[in-house]
Amino acid sequence: MEMSLQPQGAVSVLRVSNDRIDAAIAIQFKDRFRDITADVAGPVVLDLERVTFLDSSGLGAVVAARKLLGPDRVLELAALSPAVEKVMQLTRMNTVFPIHDTVADALTAHGVAPAA
Amino acid sequence: MTPEPVTQGDLPPPILGWSQSAIIGATSAEVSRALTGLRGNLIRLGLPEDALIRLELVLAEIMNNIVEHAYAGADSGDMTLEASVHGRAIWCHLRDRGRAMPGGKLPCPRRYDLDAMRMDDLPEGGFGWGLIHDLTQGLSYRRVAEENHVRFRIDLDS
Repeated sequence: MEMSLQPQGAVSVLRVSNDRIDAAIAIQFKDRFRDITADVAGPVVLDLERVTFLDSSGLGAVVAARKLLGPDRVLELAALSPAVEKVMQLTRMNTVFPIHDTVADALTAHGVAPAA
Repeated sequence: MTPEPVTQGDLPPPILGWSQSAIIGATSAEVSRALTGLRGNLIRLGLPEDALIRLELVLAEIMNNIVEHAYAGADSGDMTLEASVHGRAIWCHLRDRGRAMPGGKLPCPRRYDLDAMRMDDLPEGGFGWGLIHDLTQGLSYRRVAEENHVRFRIDLDS
């Protein structure tokens, strides 16, 4: 599971470099997310630009990740591919997660000027 | 008269009679690999992206269901996927030798009322059959001679 954390002002951008979040990787995703966000305060933006496929196990892992942050931190999603967007819509999880077209949009929404 | 040589990079004509049969080991990693390969093949056929998204999602849900339920507790197992494109649809037939579906029927889709849920209660699973029912046409299940057979189609234009 390739995931990297980039602090941008008060926001933590978590970039997923795998092209699939599916049943084969869902548990690793959750474990890696827990480790990488352990000391993070403030909003977390999950950058899904590289992810071209999400199945229900992967979605379950994203929901589990949301719960790991607890009520005081938010998890927002950015840069959804058409396949990921379709799953979010069909399961209506798009009503649970704030979703941004791009990471820059997510940062702007939190009052952070995106780095050039 | 010799036919025109086919060079690497020539694309086959869209649709029309394509078919593929594959035996896939019953692990989530093998399912992942098989679907990545299938996607590559179907993109080369020039099929619409939305149909391929629906196909890959449905196959992932059914095949991982086979891994996690039909073969639960088994040391090993495999499944056979036959896929073909005829007319304006992708036709699929999956079979495995695992345990039968509960009650000999396809599981019903589970629907959640997310608006009424607290964050801690949000579901982390159970979406699979809802997606499968919503995204397929002609979905059927039969248990024949100790084998599970699931068939469905993905209409290219729906």
